[in-house]
Amino acid sequence: MPIHPIYSAATSPSDNAMLFNKYKKAKKAVLWNRALLGVFLFFILLWAWIGTSFQIAELFTGFANIVAFLVNDFLPPDPGAVASMAGPILDTLFMSYAGVALSVGISFFLGVLAAKNLSFHPLCAFLSRSFIAFIRSVPAIVWGILLVAAIGLGPMAGTIALGLSGVGILGKAYADLLEEIDESQLEAVRAAGASWFQVFGQAVWPQFKSGFVTWSLYKMDLNIREAAMLGVVGAGGIGYALESSISLFQYKEAASGIVMIFFLIVIVEFATAKLRERII
Amino acid sequence: MPETILDIKSLRKIYKDGTPALNGISLTINKGEIVAVIGPSGAGKSTFLRSLNRLVEPTSGEIWFRGQNMLKLKKKELRWARREIGMIFQHFHLIKRVSVVQNVLHGKLGYMSAIKGGLGWYSQSDTKEAIAILERVGLEQELMKRADELSGGQQQRVGLARALAQRPSLLLADEPIASLDPSSSERVMEYLSTFSREEGMTTIVNLHQFDMAAAYADRIIAINNGEVVFDGAPDKLQKQEVKQIYV
Amino acid sequence: MNLDEWKKQKRRTTFFLFITLFLFLVISLAQLGVAPGKLLDSGERIQSMLNSMVPPDVHEPSGVLEAAIESLQIAIMGTFWGVILSLILAVFGAKNLAPHWTISYIVKGFAVLVRAVPALIWALLFIAAVGLGAVPGILALAVNSTGMLIKVYAEAIEEVEKGYIEAITATGASKFQLVMQGILPLITPIFITWSIFRFDINIRYASVLGVVGAGGIGWELVRASQTMAYNEMLGITIVIFAIVLFAEWVTRFLQKWIEKSNVRAFQSNSN
Ligand SMILES: Nc1ncnc2c1ncn2[C@@H]1O[C@H](COP(=O)(O)OP(=O)(O)O)[C@@H](O)[C@H]1O
Ligand SMILES: [Mg+2]
Repeated sequence: MPIHPIYSAATSPSDNAMLFNKYKKAKKAVLWNRALLGVFLFFILLWAWIGTSFQIAELFTGFANIVAFLVNDFLPPDPGAVASMAGPILDTLFMSYAGVALSVGISFFLGVLAAKNLSFHPLCAFLSRSFIAFIRSVPAIVWGILLVAAIGLGPMAGTIALGLSGVGILGKAYADLLEEIDESQLEAVRAAGASWFQVFGQAVWPQFKSGFVTWSLYKMDLNIREAAMLGVVGAGGIGYALESSISLFQYKEAASGIVMIFFLIVIVEFATAKLRERII
Repeated sequence: MPETILDIKSLRKIYKDGTPALNGISLTINKGEIVAVIGPSGAGKSTFLRSLNRLVEPTSGEIWFRGQNMLKLKKKELRWARREIGMIFQHFHLIKRVSVVQNVLHGKLGYMSAIKGGLGWYSQSDTKEAIAILERVGLEQELMKRADELSGGQQQRVGLARALAQRPSLLLADEPIASLDPSSSERVMEYLSTFSREEGMTTIVNLHQFDMAAAYADRIIAINNGEVVFDGAPDKLQKQEVKQIYV
Repeated sequence: MNLDEWKKQKRRTTFFLFITLFLFLVISLAQLGVAPGKLLDSGERIQSMLNSMVPPDVHEPSGVLEAAIESLQIAIMGTFWGVILSLILAVFGAKNLAPHWTISYIVKGFAVLVRAVPALIWALLFIAAVGLGAVPGILALAVNSTGMLIKVYAEAIEEVEKGYIEAITATGASKFQLVMQGILPLITPIFITWSIFRFDINIRYASVLGVVGAGGIGWELVRASQTMAYNEMLGITIVIFAIVLFAEWVTRFLQKWIEKSNVRAFQSNSN
């Protein structure tokens, strides 16, 4: 193919060479930045890799094993176990629901205190925020373990654990939502001499409502999964039944439990979606 | 006898939803021609252009390009054919957040091995060539800018540079100036026609504006309802015919 | 129906909705046997537990530290493999890139199934399949992450305008080249945000995986609770709290670094 001026630097080879060098230099700067980040991430990964003495082969054997395990030992789920799993599955639902109710109540209170534009005092807002952040940084399961130790095995520990873990998420969400509220409307209602509760009802609630509903229902969705895990530490619900089935090698029983969790999640997600539509 | 580069025979396209977009188009296009395709919106211009490199799969017909029927090509052969067909778009479709030079280098992907291309290991000579092309379209000051930081006119010139980096023998342009201001439009059309003539590159450009088509094209093809309603030199097209085409 | 009637009806349905929600709460509490009285009954126990919790303590600091570090490492490895697997699968799950729409549905269905099984249950399953230790923890987190990441990555890819895909395809690039050179740069911001978010989640999970024997600090907590060493429980909880905070700090730092390195890189050469 004949090389035409479009493609060659024939018009001004020196210009082209100069531009190329400039480009290379600039590109190097970009690459340096990326490389630095890449090296940093690489070493973190390497550290974790060595620390856990992980081997690539384990990735394959692990997945091969789990597939074989699920196919051979789990399938088909034992329909006979449905009856004995029904109680724990319902408990899981009740725990999730009562837990979310608890966290909505506490979070609402804390969220209002934590929102700078509504709080009574900046210090109050700061303390409330810090408290929420503290609760959030402790995983729900840890709350579960602590509560089981405090009030004994059973769904009550799980329910309170869910309530607390919800405060971490909802408290922050509510506070953020409240802080984003349009100030001008607040001012207008305040200027009319409204009390705090009137301001809240007239100016804040209409703007807060949709976010409030969305987040609260989202937490309900999350709770089913978390509740299913809490049972593993003895805090009630399906997780406990699952763990005992698995530790007794009753895998087909466990399989029906998992299938039931799946259906519960699907049903609850459907219900919350409908509820959200209805309320908003 | 001019050399034929494209021979299109009764090309049809019916979209999945049943919309008939092309109703049997037959044409030959010669090497080095600058062809403007005009017609009202919804006439089938984009469908026609996209059928040529099979971004749209035609329903039936034949497209002979460099001795092969495009519609019969297998995956790999199609990729080889596509490298020789450059394309530019109304909305440029440069990859955002990526530098101008790298966007132009994308034009070289078809010639590279899967790995080298995928990882973006472009050779020094390809990079020099990309810069040379950018010099030609007057963008030597913008080499390392992110593509999405440029003005519309500049972005379209990068789009053109990307297509030229493929060293195409056929250039397709789908409404290349429809989202540009008049002076940028003129500049882009100027580059398009200059490069076509210098390279002997065949160019097919969809245009909205008849006056632009008349100013830059050797030949005008008017499409309406998926059919060719006029085909000839711009000066053969009467004012009143133009009006008819657009109703 | 006029507006007044409509409003009335809406108010009525809302009222019934709330009554239902409230009744369901009452039923839930009754079924769970949750009652304030019960909580009061265990008041003494809580009192003595709180007393013995302070001052917090860790029995074997080096062991706890090691376990904490292992949790961090499990989270890193689990996120890494989760991200890699999800990226690959998301390419097949995104409708606009999948070789065939059935494949897209299969991949997305897989993600839904994986999501339905909670992380700790995955850990139990992997322990049953490959034995105790950090490896089942890593694999469980990796799989659990794919449930979420496949979905968000695939959605990000599906949101890439068709025009970008056409533009790169038209150059004769292969599918792999299209993904690497065209799609990846376009979805980078979403990709980074979600991967980091997932790392945050995985840190929390990694700190409790040990509860079932999948490595990390969770086991220490269970051990302390079994021996009723309440001061140790508080100590270990504080360590977990610190890990989570530390990880959050690191991810925030990383995010800023990535942003800054992008801006600076392009600034330094526009002149
Ligand atoms: N992906 C598609 N699916 C269905 N119909 C389409 C599609 N793309 C275009 N069409 C239809 O095909 C016809 C021709 O469209 P197009 O080629 O875009 O025309 P033009 O580019 O001349 O405006 C129009 O009726 C349009 O609605
Ligand atoms: Mg069009």
